[in-house]
Amino acid sequence: MAVTLPEPVRVSPLIKTCRWTALGLGIWWGTKRYAALKAEEDEIRAYNAKMKPIWDAEKAAKAAASNREQMIYLAKESGTPIPEGF
Amino acid sequence: MAQSVMKLVKQVPVLVELAKPKLSTFVKYAKVELRPPTPAEIPAAISDATVKVANLQKQTFRDWTVKEATINAVVGAEIFCWFFIGECIGKGSIVGYQV
Repeated sequence: MAVTLPEPVRVSPLIKTCRWTALGLGIWWGTKRYAALKAEEDEIRAYNAKMKPIWDAEKAAKAAASNREQMIYLAKESGTPIPEGF
Repeated sequence: MAQSVMKLVKQVPVLVELAKPKLSTFVKYAKVELRPPTPAEIPAAISDATVKVANLQKQTFRDWTVKEATINAVVGAEIFCWFFIGECIGKGSIVGYQV
């Protein structure tokens, strides 16, 4: 390994300030965006968690109603007597 | 499993010794090239920036050679990349916002 590396470059002050300002701006922007997106996502998650039991109940009711209708149709087609109050 | 972990742990000082010369070269360059600007350099940077803005208004960039133009474009792109690195640091993840 006899490669001689060149001397480090003296970077102009403008480039240095721009770089580190860009880094700082990026960190600020990242934290700001993250906070905003997290708030939105938390709202959506809370809404879904709140509505889940309601939606589950609605789905179960719908499934029970359609199941009942199908059983009645099957009973009619196959001639089975339908019990009272079904 | 425990034996292979022990072997790995024994390798760590060897790896550190191997990495030291590379690390010291990196630090030698980083201390000059990647250092943040000292407070004394900031007025020089601001005056330089006003010169550049005046150049932009006079449109002297139309007289750049292709080589100059590529070099300036690459430098500008690098400054932009620092913004994205900062954004990754701020959001705490590399690829996306892990909300």
